[in-house]
Amino acid sequence: MKQANVKKSVVSEGEQIQLATEMINLGARLQLLEAQTTLSRERLIKLYKELKGASPPKGMLPFSTDWFLTWQPNIHSSIFLNIYDYLLKYAGASDITAILKAYSLYLQQVGHDSEEEPVLSLTRAWTLIRYVDSKMLKLKSCSCCEGKFVVNAYDLNNNYLCNLCHIPSRAGKTKKAKELQYKLVSAAA
Amino acid sequence: MSEAEMMSEIKDANLNYLMLAQQMIRADKVTAIFRLGISADIADLLEGLSNFQILKLSSSNMLLARFRFEDSAILSMLTDYTKDRSLANAHSAILLSGQPA
Repeated sequence: MKQANVKKSVVSEGEQIQLATEMINLGARLQLLEAQTTLSRERLIKLYKELKGASPPKGMLPFSTDWFLTWQPNIHSSIFLNIYDYLLKYAGASDITAILKAYSLYLQQVGHDSEEEPVLSLTRAWTLIRYVDSKMLKLKSCSCCEGKFVVNAYDLNNNYLCNLCHIPSRAGKTKKAKELQYKLVSAAA
Repeated sequence: MSEAEMMSEIKDANLNYLMLAQQMIRADKVTAIFRLGISADIADLLEGLSNFQILKLSSSNMLLARFRFEDSAILSMLTDYTKDRSLANAHSAILLSGQPA
């Protein structure tokens, strides 16, 4: 038992369930729930099934820092991390509440609708914070626009140009974007 | 627009701004602090203002809210996005949240 020395209280358990509910609704994986709440694994699985109507996905969490450095994910994770930093610095939020608030603000900021999957999932956002805390990733100011972006802490980042000031030539030209383009063109015609 | 009209528009904008800010802070202070770009002290103060105080504060001939993009180079870059509006939104979100409160 993780929290064996903590006295069991109904009120705090209620709070924990509420927290877990909020996280599941934002798309959290089971590992995140286990790390951030004091509820047992069985209870979390039960709660997950009740809310989502399906068993939680199995398998390991994504563990690569490279994902955060590719073009579109980098922009999205930079938005999230900037918001998170702002909340820590100026709004007095901390820990998991800061992550949850920053994540909902991020979703609203990128105009996410509930049908499609957001680029940055809550679990990835949480992993990002852990990478930053363990100094594997950090924010670096772009030398052109002075906006702060996620970079690898061990890369050489003198005269760093961000992904928006210096858009890579093939950025955003995915199959999905192309299909969307076709749709727009045929709708206009 | 005549001078008098402009003054009354400014007062309206002030009143709207203060009332909106107060509602946002009362609903969710942490989120409001981010969206408004103000410090926690100011948020506490705005939260506690009475209706009369808000009315008095708003009846000024100068706008109370300040424009948040102060750097002209950055502003022109953001307004010059021709290709993709969502990229402009992403860029301004990063720049705005990177600013101190």
